[in-house]
Amino acid sequence: MKKTRFYMIGFSALMLCDTLTQISFKLASNHGGDFVMHLDWFLSIFSQPWIYGAVLGYLGSFVAWMTLLKHAPVGPAFAASHLEVVLVLVVSAVYFGDRLAPMQIVGALLIVIGIICLSFSEAEQENVENH
Amino acid sequence: MSSIAILIWVINVTLDTVGHVALKFAATADQQESTEIKRWKSMFGSFPLWVGIVCFCLEFVVWLAFLSVLSLSQGVLLGAINMVSIVIAGRLVFKERLDRMRLMGMALITIGVIFVGLYA
Repeated sequence: MKKTRFYMIGFSALMLCDTLTQISFKLASNHGGDFVMHLDWFLSIFSQPWIYGAVLGYLGSFVAWMTLLKHAPVGPAFAASHLEVVLVLVVSAVYFGDRLAPMQIVGALLIVIGIICLSFSEAEQENVENH
Repeated sequence: MSSIAILIWVINVTLDTVGHVALKFAATADQQESTEIKRWKSMFGSFPLWVGIVCFCLEFVVWLAFLSVLSLSQGVLLGAINMVSIVIAGRLVFKERLDRMRLMGMALITIGVIFVGLYA
């Protein structure tokens, strides 16, 4: 029970931090407008607070990831560290009003299944190395 | 996808892959050190570690540029290709194992990214 709660909190923290990072990145880049290779573009990005949200999210993810890896099997941990894609998609649809074309939704599903396959492979590999 | 988006995407994938490979080199280069502190000291003096750090710092800026020309949902989906490139680099550089499940995962992610990219 204790272990289950640890995993739940750890995986949720990791996904939330990763999602915070990506949302902060998007809000920061929105502030600068379309990318132009000019110092002004970088200054406009780094002069507003969202960029620090991204840094904070990175740090949070790092701490959550390192804590999780100490106890959690690497497969599910790997999946959780990449399945933030799902949460980011939901948030970007609700908050930014992003809409994906039907074929892009199919692509997103394939990517998510692909990540799950990779995490099964990671878990299997760890089992092989441990035995 | 515009040509500038494709260019930024390729730079991002390259930086991420080189960064991960460099960190792996740094982490596995010297395993003879007796304590963890000595191991970290040795790592901080290693060239690959700094290559990795520089790559990830540059990637931070490149990712911002990428998200400025694409929506967040398309950006994170296209960014998934990094996982494929890192697995390939792991195989080529460190001779890491490629089992059937991993190959299937890589294939699905690649097809998914192509679908997302074609309609971006």
